[in-house]
Amino acid sequence: MSGIFGIFKFIVSSMGVIATSLMLSVANAKDGTDYKSTNYWDITVPPEDISVNGHLIDWLFNYTTYMNLFFFILVCAGLFGFAFIYHHKKNKKPLYTYGNKPVHIWTVTIIGVAVFIGIDATISAISNNDLRNVFLNWPKEEEKPLKVQVMAQQWVWKFRYAGKDEVFNTQDDVVTVNDLRVPINRKLLFQVTSKDVIHSFFLPNARRKVDAMPGRISRIWMELNKAGKWPIACAEMCGTHHYMMGAKLTTYTPEDFESWLGQAQRVAMEVNDPEDLNLYWGWKWEVR
Amino acid sequence: MAFFEQHAHPVPKTFLGKYIFSFDHKVIAKQFLWSGLFFLGVGGIMALLIRWTLAYPGQSFPILGSILFPHTNGIVPPDTYAMLFTQHGTIMIFYAITPLLIGAFGNLCIPLMIGCRDMAFPLLNMLSYWFFFISGALLLSALFTPLGAAAGGWTSYPTLALTFGSPGVGQTLWYMAIFTIGISSILGAVNYITTIITLRAPGMGYFDMPLTIWGIWMTAILNAIFVPVLGAGCLLVIFDRVFGTSFFLAGAAATSGSGDPILYQHVFWIFGHPEVYILILPAWGIVSDLLSFFSRKPAFAAKATALSMVSISVLSILVYGHHMFTTQMSPLLTQSFMTLTMTISIPSAIFFGNWLGTIWKGSIRFDTPMLYSLGVVFVFGLGGLTGLYLGTTTTDFYLHDTYFVVGHFHYTMAASVLLGGFAGIYYWMPKMFGTMMSEFWGKIHFWLTMLGINGVFMGMLFIGYGGMHRRIYNPFYYEELRRLIPMNEFVTISALLLGGSQFIFLFNFLWSVWNGKKAVANPWKVGTLEWTIPSPAPSYNFKDIPVVKCGPHELGNPNLKDGKDFQYQTEELVTS
Repeated sequence: MSGIFGIFKFIVSSMGVIATSLMLSVANAKDGTDYKSTNYWDITVPPEDISVNGHLIDWLFNYTTYMNLFFFILVCAGLFGFAFIYHHKKNKKPLYTYGNKPVHIWTVTIIGVAVFIGIDATISAISNNDLRNVFLNWPKEEEKPLKVQVMAQQWVWKFRYAGKDEVFNTQDDVVTVNDLRVPINRKLLFQVTSKDVIHSFFLPNARRKVDAMPGRISRIWMELNKAGKWPIACAEMCGTHHYMMGAKLTTYTPEDFESWLGQAQRVAMEVNDPEDLNLYWGWKWEVR
Repeated sequence: MAFFEQHAHPVPKTFLGKYIFSFDHKVIAKQFLWSGLFFLGVGGIMALLIRWTLAYPGQSFPILGSILFPHTNGIVPPDTYAMLFTQHGTIMIFYAITPLLIGAFGNLCIPLMIGCRDMAFPLLNMLSYWFFFISGALLLSALFTPLGAAAGGWTSYPTLALTFGSPGVGQTLWYMAIFTIGISSILGAVNYITTIITLRAPGMGYFDMPLTIWGIWMTAILNAIFVPVLGAGCLLVIFDRVFGTSFFLAGAAATSGSGDPILYQHVFWIFGHPEVYILILPAWGIVSDLLSFFSRKPAFAAKATALSMVSISVLSILVYGHHMFTTQMSPLLTQSFMTLTMTISIPSAIFFGNWLGTIWKGSIRFDTPMLYSLGVVFVFGLGGLTGLYLGTTTTDFYLHDTYFVVGHFHYTMAASVLLGGFAGIYYWMPKMFGTMMSEFWGKIHFWLTMLGINGVFMGMLFIGYGGMHRRIYNPFYYEELRRLIPMNEFVTISALLLGGSQFIFLFNFLWSVWNGKKAVANPWKVGTLEWTIPSPAPSYNFKDIPVVKCGPHELGNPNLKDGKDFQYQTEELVTS
């Protein structure tokens, strides 16, 4: 990510210096500053990308940023440049024009077309391609994606893996709360819904989110490629404790995952009470 | 050129008739202005409470905290936090910006700038203010209900906003308040549209109207079409909440039939996206005019600017789906909404081209209104460009509902609109109150505001890109977000600076209203119709209805004699 925000980083780090000095003057009784990063460069970096396709989103973001910077610097050059050059003390006689000469019309038209082609048409074409070829290109059965059902409710995430029988909503399902464990290098397919209000299933490290809506099943697929522990957040306002609706995502190597799942399935067989109706919050997995 | 006889209505004698139930558009404009400033203050304090909580969670808010939240030693509690950001959004959009830009400047400028004695429907105009007043009372009354005010975000999405998600009566009052302010907006809009179409001074074609009027006109049209949609949506939610229907109810609570919460999002955003333009169009209009006036040259391609406003208004209807990319609409809709959203760049780029064209080779005077107009160009540039990330579906997958969105829409709706509003206040102060505001303090206010605004909203963009999502009480609940603490503190300090510098404006404004330097009839040397009459404008506006003979931006004409560099719209265009 280095070098992407060179200019911004400079601005931000200088703003940071100002901020730090200002902070000293604000009565601030906070302790435990150990986790405080004073390196403002870190802020211009998004969370670590752990997905196979997250780089597409990052790339598009950076492309848009470069183009935006280009056009915004043009605007600033015009704004500050003209303000400086045509100050009324320097330029006493303004040019009397309505801006309707062909050269004026052409200039503005070219600016409009340049912005549209340079940024808008390009990014929407790329984004469209990414959508069609990647993000909405759902994994096929023969690719053996890991299927997980996600149920959001105030203020908990519940995850359901089909048990040994590979059928959802049966008594051997593995059910976890606020704890999602998935393998890397295997496609993951989630079906997401909500029990009460609208939530949003947000994995910052995979650059993806999808709303969890009561009465609807939304779906999202991704493939992760880095083992570790990562956050899952709720990104849609869902009530007072919205801020606490976080879950942990653990990514395993395929072997580790199999051993975890095998153990979890055995535990599930023992622990799950088939008479307990609360167990069956899942639904039949239908390929849509 | 519809024109009919206009009578000057008699000057009211009583206090009630003069200041409270006045039919005079200028008095109503001032009523909107005062109310808007009041709500701006309320919403601003709420914003500071929010910002404080984000940067220093678990610490008491200085001074005010112990008064407002005595039970928690001045710390904002989580449920109050949700109420605060809900009320902040609602108040700023519907009760601060709408009355300031549309209520105050719409009412003040339309008759004065198109040369008529009053609005077409003075009674509707008065009712528009009083519906606004009732609505404000409803909204604020919710703060004193047992379970507190609405707390579901300013969008108030069901099912969170239904009875099982928000059981308090405050949420119902919120919908009623929005419904009522909708009535106010519609009454105003009908009035504005009619006045602009029928009461333009003889000789004034549509393209002879100042661009301010164009902006307000487009705003009024969008208001008249889309506020009823929001009203209908609010009414349906009230049905759900009060009468037990289930238009938007789904999930486990939908025991007797299921509706669809996403339907509300469609209803809300088909209003909500035009609303963005409803708020910004008057500011664009004001800026387009002021850049020309203070550069002492005609507005560059004024016709193109006006037509860009029209095309943006039309396009704004067709793009609302970009607020809902993560609800997983049909891919066909997603792609069409993305593509349509991107086309808005073209008229926006034309705006920037024309604004820069206007100051190009001008003789620029840096009076306070001009500084604010230039400020709008700067912050709207940032606001518009950051919108591109959000209109693109794939980047929106990451950025949706993060602070990036908050930074983006504050740049467009808060920063640009507020700076535009300040430009208007400094500029029309002489015509409103007959006095000038202090230039010195105005400039200090401008620079501090610019510093604060950019610190706050630029910071938010970075925080959002860093992965912090919206509407969370304590972001540092997530370990991964702790690296954003310094940036959050920076944003909060900028917000305190921004909030504090508004006191300069407040004192400057209040001082000028009562003790300011008396203004001459035309202090800015500008030719539009409102400057042909004395300051402050008399109750009948124009002694004789003016006859318009040239456009609004006739400045810097080399044919003008006697050292004059502008001519009034009532004068024949000097060509030799």
